[in-house]
Amino acid sequence: MAKLQSGNGVQWKDNKSQRGTVENLAEHESSSLGSNTELNGFANTDIQTDRYGFIGGAQQSAGENDDIPPDVLRQREAKWLDMLNSWDKWMAKKHKKVKVRCQKGIPPSLRGRAWLYLSGGKVKKEQNQSKFQELDSQPGDAKWLDVIEKDLHRQFPFHEMFVARGGHGQQDLFRVLKAYTLHRPEEGYCQAQAPIAAVLLMHMPAEDAFWGLVQICEKYLPGYYSAGLEAIQLDGEILFALLKRVSPVAHRHLKKHKIDPILYMTEWFMCAFSRTLPWASVLRVWDMFFCEGVKIIFRVGLVLLKCMLGSQEKLKACQGQYETMELLRSIEPRYMHETFLVQEVIELPVSERDIEKEHLSQLRRWKETHGELHCKSPPRMHGAKAIMAAEPPSRQDLKQNPTIIVEVPQATESQAEKGKKVKKSKTEKKKDTNNTSPPLNPYPLPSDPTLPSDNLSQHLQKDAPLQSSSQSLSSAEHDTYL
Amino acid sequence: MGTDLAYNFVFKVVLIGESGVGKSNLLSRFTKNEFNHDSRTTIGVEFSTRSIQVDNITIKAQIWDTAGLERYRAITSAYYRGAVGALLVYDITKHLTYENVERWLKELYDHADPHIVVMLVGNKSDLGNVRTVPTEEAKDFAEAKGLLFMETSALESTNVESAFLEVLTEIHKKVASKEVTRGSISAVTLGQTLGPTSEFKEERQSCCKS
Repeated sequence: MAKLQSGNGVQWKDNKSQRGTVENLAEHESSSLGSNTELNGFANTDIQTDRYGFIGGAQQSAGENDDIPPDVLRQREAKWLDMLNSWDKWMAKKHKKVKVRCQKGIPPSLRGRAWLYLSGGKVKKEQNQSKFQELDSQPGDAKWLDVIEKDLHRQFPFHEMFVARGGHGQQDLFRVLKAYTLHRPEEGYCQAQAPIAAVLLMHMPAEDAFWGLVQICEKYLPGYYSAGLEAIQLDGEILFALLKRVSPVAHRHLKKHKIDPILYMTEWFMCAFSRTLPWASVLRVWDMFFCEGVKIIFRVGLVLLKCMLGSQEKLKACQGQYETMELLRSIEPRYMHETFLVQEVIELPVSERDIEKEHLSQLRRWKETHGELHCKSPPRMHGAKAIMAAEPPSRQDLKQNPTIIVEVPQATESQAEKGKKVKKSKTEKKKDTNNTSPPLNPYPLPSDPTLPSDNLSQHLQKDAPLQSSSQSLSSAEHDTYL
Repeated sequence: MGTDLAYNFVFKVVLIGESGVGKSNLLSRFTKNEFNHDSRTTIGVEFSTRSIQVDNITIKAQIWDTAGLERYRAITSAYYRGAVGALLVYDITKHLTYENVERWLKELYDHADPHIVVMLVGNKSDLGNVRTVPTEEAKDFAEAKGLLFMETSALESTNVESAFLEVLTEIHKKVASKEVTRGSISAVTLGQTLGPTSEFKEERQSCCKS
């Protein structure tokens, strides 16, 4: 029987001494390596996963009423495809628009790709094309491998991707984490990197996830996972200092009961809230985080603290240190709800400058009490634009390199002109060469002026609704869904 | 775990030891009677409480759990503050986790109250067939260092209650004998009666989150 715990971990009673949860789910299969232990495709398992892949309601689904209408989603996908297609231009000239679109939420079908572009992981990948392969093939340091292996079945164990011991999800997690320890042997492995890598893997293949992890560890949250954990402690102090302005009541309470920031913000920040919030909110926060940087993480923390401890009424329930910590561990669902939280985060007036200013001040204090920092991390990059500015990519670096090409029957000249990028994995290469005519787009976007000829459309498009919807859609920019 | 009635004492006990030895499951077994093969990696601090009876006194045990990985030791001083007891856990099937006990002891004495009650716990006793740490050896070591000792299995629930009970009883003895001055152990009070002070509370709701 599954029980809900705060965040998206689930604990359940285990009366039987069984090895591996996979045995609970697929009793006829032996728990061995390989895809036969994967959840999908099992006729005899009656497992329900939610849209994010979590089993048994483990991600605290808020219900279906927040769903975005399909036509709005299609519009957004079109816009994002357009942005990804000329990413450098958008980031240089229309960054504000990019930011707004991230705040509205990246369409699920493009989230993985968008995150990779936003983080600069895409550029890193293209500039180091054989790197991951190289690291992947190396054995790795036994010391790190031992710890990593212990953690593989302890990340999102109720997500279908990671539930099977030795399954593809856990294997990829191993590969990504191992590769990082080889990429940065002086850093090694820190346990909070596993949930970060796992979230990335839910949206992109291992190589991409590796570079996403690299960017998070080096650009967004440098020093978070390093020995000494100095960066996280400093950020805890910064968070607490910022809280004074955001919610003096909460600040006073935490101070009075001597509740160190490290006692409540460690998991929040190190895992970028992936273990705290309902999944829909995690994704929205990460969308903004990749675009705007760590200030989003700070804002989420501040909002939660303000909501839970920000009034005398609420504080009546926590008379002491322990009670306060318990309260912070069970944040009320309404405060973590996607719509509410995103709005609060956007509106909270805490800027990069505020954070940097406080950082300097806390660093000074730290040096007085602890001496010099042992781990001098590079300065952090506050989001996608900063990352790109620091290491401007070439056009080549941003080019899409699809791995699955859809073969289509003969294309005519006029139809070839309409060839455009399509969604997800069925991307077609936009060829500049003139040896073959570009393949026809079997999935015209709403912005396409006309649809393909009848013959072709009968061949490729079976659902009439797609045709009619493209005519009813407006290409208006205003999209008020948050 | 039933309704949490008024209690006389609050004892803060910390779980320490290498990553993967079973600290989190010892916590969940004792406070919620739960065990999970795939319990999440502890990052930051986890905690739970349970009240027990010791010699007609009601003790509320506040058990704290944290990440065992080496680099997390940098952030543990806040964690140790006010702790009156510690369970230093190793895995009987992984000799390395036992070898590192000395380092954990040093860490403990560097940060915690000098009078802290410590029990050496050899967990995963259900895996006796792949044991690498002999019971006698560990027992002798514990004795030499003045530590309590027990082997447990959070999975099978063996000795988990006894381990915590023994530690809490020992703490109570120390407190009752006034071996420790009041100032050094903040969660504990030497008073015997219930009163309106912040250290004595009346609670009607259940102590364990469900």
